[in-house]
Amino acid sequence: MKILVTGAAGLVGAEVCARLIKNNHQVYGLVHHVRTLTANSGRPVTGVDLIPGDVTQPRLGLDDATWRKLADEVDLIVHSAAITDFGRPRELYQAVNTTGTAHVLELAGFKNARLIHVSTAYVCGEQDGRILETSLDAGQRFGNHYEESKFQAELLVRKAATEATVIRPSVVVGAARTGVVREFKNIYVVLKLLSEGRVTSIPGHFDACVDLVPVDHVAALIADVVEKPAPGQTLHAVGSTVSMRHLSDVLAEYPSFRVPRYVAPATFSAASLGDLERAYWERMLSLYESYFRRRQHFDDTLAAGFRSHKRLSNGPDQLRKIVDYAVRAGYLGSPLPGVAEALAGVGVR
Amino acid sequence: MILTEEQIQSLAEQTLARIDAPDDAALLLEGSIAEGFGNSRSDIDFLLIADQEADMPTMPTIFFIDGRRVEIRTRSVGQITKHLIEVAGHRGRVTRMDEHLLNRCQRFLRGHPVRRPDLITKVRENLSYDMFATVMTKWWAEYARQSVRHAVMLESLGQHDQAAVWARAGLQQAAKSWAARHGETYLEPKWLSLQLDRLAENPLVARYWQTEGTADIIRLVAALGVTGCADTPDRLVVERPREVTTWQIGDRVHLVRDRRDVFVLGDTAARTWRRVVWGRPLAGLGPEGDLIATFVRYGLIRVSWRGAAITPRLPLAAPAGSVTPAPAMTLPLLSIAGAKPAHPRSIDLLPLPAHRFAAAAMALVWGNVMVENAVEDLRGALDREQWRVAALATARAVNGGLRALLCAFGVSPLPSDPELIGGLDMLPAPQPRIAELARQLSRPGSRGEELPEFIAAVRAASGGDAFPSSFDSADGWQRTLDIGYDWLRLGAYLDQQLPLDEAQDLLSSGGAQPHTSSAKEAG
Repeated sequence: MKILVTGAAGLVGAEVCARLIKNNHQVYGLVHHVRTLTANSGRPVTGVDLIPGDVTQPRLGLDDATWRKLADEVDLIVHSAAITDFGRPRELYQAVNTTGTAHVLELAGFKNARLIHVSTAYVCGEQDGRILETSLDAGQRFGNHYEESKFQAELLVRKAATEATVIRPSVVVGAARTGVVREFKNIYVVLKLLSEGRVTSIPGHFDACVDLVPVDHVAALIADVVEKPAPGQTLHAVGSTVSMRHLSDVLAEYPSFRVPRYVAPATFSAASLGDLERAYWERMLSLYESYFRRRQHFDDTLAAGFRSHKRLSNGPDQLRKIVDYAVRAGYLGSPLPGVAEALAGVGVR
Repeated sequence: MILTEEQIQSLAEQTLARIDAPDDAALLLEGSIAEGFGNSRSDIDFLLIADQEADMPTMPTIFFIDGRRVEIRTRSVGQITKHLIEVAGHRGRVTRMDEHLLNRCQRFLRGHPVRRPDLITKVRENLSYDMFATVMTKWWAEYARQSVRHAVMLESLGQHDQAAVWARAGLQQAAKSWAARHGETYLEPKWLSLQLDRLAENPLVARYWQTEGTADIIRLVAALGVTGCADTPDRLVVERPREVTTWQIGDRVHLVRDRRDVFVLGDTAARTWRRVVWGRPLAGLGPEGDLIATFVRYGLIRVSWRGAAITPRLPLAAPAGSVTPAPAMTLPLLSIAGAKPAHPRSIDLLPLPAHRFAAAAMALVWGNVMVENAVEDLRGALDREQWRVAALATARAVNGGLRALLCAFGVSPLPSDPELIGGLDMLPAPQPRIAELARQLSRPGSRGEELPEFIAAVRAASGGDAFPSSFDSADGWQRTLDIGYDWLRLGAYLDQQLPLDEAQDLLSSGGAQPHTSSAKEAG
């Protein structure tokens, strides 16, 4: 097949490209800035025809000839281009995640190419409980602009392309076996701020939980669905559940790490934090606030019928694995000395 | 051999005359005498080999013949063959082979045939002596490697005496490996000197007896053919042990080992501990070698040789492993801020198991919350002259104080409220004044006049910290509540039976009512 992958340089996109090439497809990769693809392992992904473009622009920012060629030739589009890190302006999420999806739908619709749209499990917003793959609009409240923009994109997809497959990854983390990840974003930033004691208290519940899915499992499910179409279906690409209690327990296994206090959300006040800690909280960690109190479990009955790998079941093990890798890579584990340590180092107590 | 053939035959006949042995059984003199060692006090060890597959009882029978202790064991051809084949066919890490299995094979292969040599020769064909010697060379070399790596680790931490002990143990094991390569496979180390005497023409033997000093010993180990344990401490890496977690309560660092043992660290020990990063070089942990060595000894950290576990052990001796020190007996055992280390370099084991430590500490926190809220209620009741309400609030404050005091000494689970005053007899020292004040304050008509004295007495008896200064200021109270959240994390880890989120709310509600004027009166 001739397949276009948007966001081909992204964490998921590059892994998808590598699998599609391995499965002998002809792959076009839409890229924004980069001109080479790197797999999660750090190795180059070769054999992909890279096409510079911009999903925020009409016709993906392509010249007429390129757009027409893709529209004519492509059998399938994997739309994985998205802004996934938090804290950006709402307009940017709308432009990339929502409007970008509209532009991809236009291309797919030109000659009815199949579409696999990469969404997020967190389009469920702040709903608690068991989240079904068949559920989308439940009047939910969103924790941030990212979720809202991905929700709106899914609505567009379902309206314009009823045969499209939607893949909803949860929090994408390092590889299942090794924990290796190419870039440290999102949950890794949270782990860094907490383990270094930059933020010591968070408003959360011990039984609140997030779902971690290894990047290779997300890419594998997409590659599986390329081979075994799931028209009109929405599939959760999820992994293992990690509760805030697991987070506390696992961080405690690392001697140099700090473990945050979980304060009842109703009484948490950023104003009571020290200046520096408040700055870290307000500028960075508050973006993730609602995840510290959500109690969500993602059902993946439909996805189980398509994926060739086994879903991971042990959340603490997976968390430990990604933390171990982040420590090995030097991202975690080397906090700046505290005041007491610095003073002790010069013989002052 | 110290016995002549005639002496052996005589002892064999006398022994066989006392047991019910099959006529076609083979007989072997085995052990130190058969190998050319032994002395006048050595036992005579016979092995009777029944020409059958079925197992024979293996317990030895003991006689005293001509003033000597004689042991005779019985085994079948099937049993011995199985042992030999197990060694011949072993795959994987050589030290996984059981030392008793190897010892049985060694004694059989190097024993002196007394009866039926044909049968013995036939059974020996299952494992050639050369192959067995190769196995023993590798087996001892691996033990030597582990001992010397451990010595390198201890030396790099400045623990010179301990390093010397392990280097010497490694040298002895290396010598056993070297001797095995030269056909001397007797397993137990007790005759090593005689084994080396038989190889004395090799200059390494003289060097063995002359070498001292850890560095020289490590070089000699290499010369004896044991590789992979040169004095290269840069290969030492800090590794995560199973089930060791770090819990900071306020400013104090506690470690929980195996979800069972709690250690509290003094400030210097805590700073050293906080430098530990799994997978990083041991050398990066700073100058406190004795503290790091203690962490290793207690199994709180592991050290690997570039990722391979270091497992020092002496074969035929007690198994090695992490050790547990005598518990520290500092009283009271704990306070709101956790246990109290004896000094800044302390790595103190607490004398109560982790789950009771956490339970007592959380009950201590709740005791404080009870007192705080009760004092607040008492103040309001007195303002409005609600005497019965005041009496109940006073009783609650007393119960909270008694709970905190009992918990500070590790009483957990606590007695029920009506038995708290009686429960004071569980404390190591009698507290008659506190008991008297508690009884007075618990009377139905009490207006709480003695409460300040009661709180002061509880604070004094519990070492001050257990009943903190939180009653003196809103900030102090907030700090108590913050520490309460620290205890919740540990309680969650240890699966304490408490509703965590409700506990969070309880702490929060306590924090929402910072105590003001009446607290100062009470304190």
